[in-house]
Amino acid sequence: MKIKNLIVIVVLLATGFSTNAQLTGTQIIDKTYNRPTGEDQTSILKMTLTNKQGKQRVRTIKQFSKDFGNVEKNIMFFQTPADVKNTSFMNWSYNSDKSDDQWIYLPALKRVKRISSDSKSDYFMGSDFTYDDLGDRKLNADNHKLLREEKINGKNCYVVESISKDEDYMYSKTITWIDKSNFVGVKKEFYDEDEELLKILTIKKVEKIAGFYVVTNSEMKNTQKNHITSITLSNVKINNGISASKFSERMMTRGI
Amino acid sequence: MKNKIIIIIATLFVGSFAKAQKLETSGFVRTYEGVTYDNGNFVITQQTLNLNFEKRGEKVAFKANPMLYMYKADSLSLNLREVYMDMYFKNFDLRIGKQQIVWGKADGVFITDVVSPLNLSEFLLPDFDEIRTGVIATKLDYYIGNSTIEAIWIPQFTPTVRPDANSIWYIQPEFPAPTTFDWRQSEINPSLKNSEMFLKWSAMTSKVDFELMGGYTWDDNPSMHVQKHFGMDTSTTPPSPILTGLSITPKHHRLSLVGGSFSTEIKGVIFRGEAAYYNGKYFQTEDPTAEGALIQKDYLNYVAGIDFNLGNVKLSTQFIQKYIIDYNSLMLENEFHNTATFMSRYDMMRETLHLELFSYIGLSDQDALIRPKITYDFDDGFSILLGGNVFVGERDGQFGQFQDNSMIYTKLKYNF
Repeated sequence: MKIKNLIVIVVLLATGFSTNAQLTGTQIIDKTYNRPTGEDQTSILKMTLTNKQGKQRVRTIKQFSKDFGNVEKNIMFFQTPADVKNTSFMNWSYNSDKSDDQWIYLPALKRVKRISSDSKSDYFMGSDFTYDDLGDRKLNADNHKLLREEKINGKNCYVVESISKDEDYMYSKTITWIDKSNFVGVKKEFYDEDEELLKILTIKKVEKIAGFYVVTNSEMKNTQKNHITSITLSNVKINNGISASKFSERMMTRGI
Repeated sequence: MKNKIIIIIATLFVGSFAKAQKLETSGFVRTYEGVTYDNGNFVITQQTLNLNFEKRGEKVAFKANPMLYMYKADSLSLNLREVYMDMYFKNFDLRIGKQQIVWGKADGVFITDVVSPLNLSEFLLPDFDEIRTGVIATKLDYYIGNSTIEAIWIPQFTPTVRPDANSIWYIQPEFPAPTTFDWRQSEINPSLKNSEMFLKWSAMTSKVDFELMGGYTWDDNPSMHVQKHFGMDTSTTPPSPILTGLSITPKHHRLSLVGGSFSTEIKGVIFRGEAAYYNGKYFQTEDPTAEGALIQKDYLNYVAGIDFNLGNVKLSTQFIQKYIIDYNSLMLENEFHNTATFMSRYDMMRETLHLELFSYIGLSDQDALIRPKITYDFDDGFSILLGGNVFVGERDGQFGQFQDNSMIYTKLKYNF
């Protein structure tokens, strides 16, 4: 019996008491970024931009994404407004340090054009989301620190501060509230270069679709400019077996 | 008047057909006015209705794109810019009909992008989608992984559209003697023998995108075969021969070309290149022994360019060179002809206000076309544009020759 107890203690020491151990900020963000989301996903994204006068502009996009292991491919087909209809955008995001590959197809030019992925700090279609906010930020791009645990909106959350390793990054820091039960983000604050609060991302709705947690409604508010962008996902389909050929020049030009 | 009625009936018919068939309908209405700032003449008064009718299925699709232009209050013209049908198969697609085909990686210059000829009736000013004319063609795209083999067969040759003689973009050539033109030989009869063929292999990869192409085509611009007529000047002693007239016969000639292009990203900068080797082009020469005052030479045309961001400003620049191989000093054209382009763009006010500057800079001719513009998206799909087309530099240059046409212009466009 004594020997058995000893073995248990040794095993627990060796695994670092993994079941009860306090996760580090990096581990929490890692679990959040690498939360299972399915092999592929299709959805219709509706983005509503509301300015401080309450005037709204709406953009609709049909998007497809697929995880190929070492690369995640995403293709978007713009449906509204009319002046961007049939424009498509494709992004290949790599697990390695390689920067993303991006292409855009403008129907007026009838040509797929490779564009620089350097502009990740640019705002996407005039919204409050930068390309970086929407994409997969790499885990090691920031230093992550667990600040505390607290309950918001009835959810027990980790609160993690992330500071970019790139001094020129547009945010001095971000603070993320992550649901302890499923590692889905609940809220995120973005601070500008002067360390003033710039934007707040609020996750409004999370649905379990095909066994995976999907954020289907979120809102980004620029607190300095009082401008809001709301994103809703509809017609979400997961693991529908999207063909690899979907992510090609052929589909960008043909459209959906 | 008859034409106008036909166009209106056709538009109404297509409109109701679209409704009945649940076609996807889109397009734009645009009003476009330009005034020269030298003399205040309204040199552009153009109203446009662009309609796109599309229906897309799993296996087939079609598109028809009629464009109605009204240049003056009573002048209406209909242009079927594209009308084609698509068939989709597992590994290949087939497109048959009038279509615009765009190749290459260069912006605003046409190196390997020679399948669809240009409409230069308003010089290089129209938007790039309107500057090309459609060709009646069969296009086959065969897909292997990330690469595509594209084969094009064009049974009917379409030449470059030139400005009318009464257009401000028409430059009256100067001849040393009375000249007559015989345009009868400039027509190319549609036949199997006179077909044009193009082949391209392209790939889009994580490292580089590239295209390799070849074409057996017609020179879109006719060569001017010049016949000189001489008489005797009896006022001199002894009498001497004198040029009394010129007979010019414009003819299109066969042209072959091979070329390629690439684009890749290195540390946030896009590097682009495109080159083509043209075989058998006819050039004007002053060599008195040359038949028709023409000499056949090969030439190389290439462009190298970069796109990059400086803060929130998007910048792009290109260097273009045309080099005539085995040059002869009696040729009228220079051995090298160098041009550059520069583009900068800044989007502000949540991408509703766009500032853009695009310029062609004639390095050889020491002239330029400078095109600043401001576009404001007044509402979704509705934009207001204020721009300028400024021609500067030597009057014998490609751009400088249009100095008197420098203008400011506005475009109001409603997309639907």
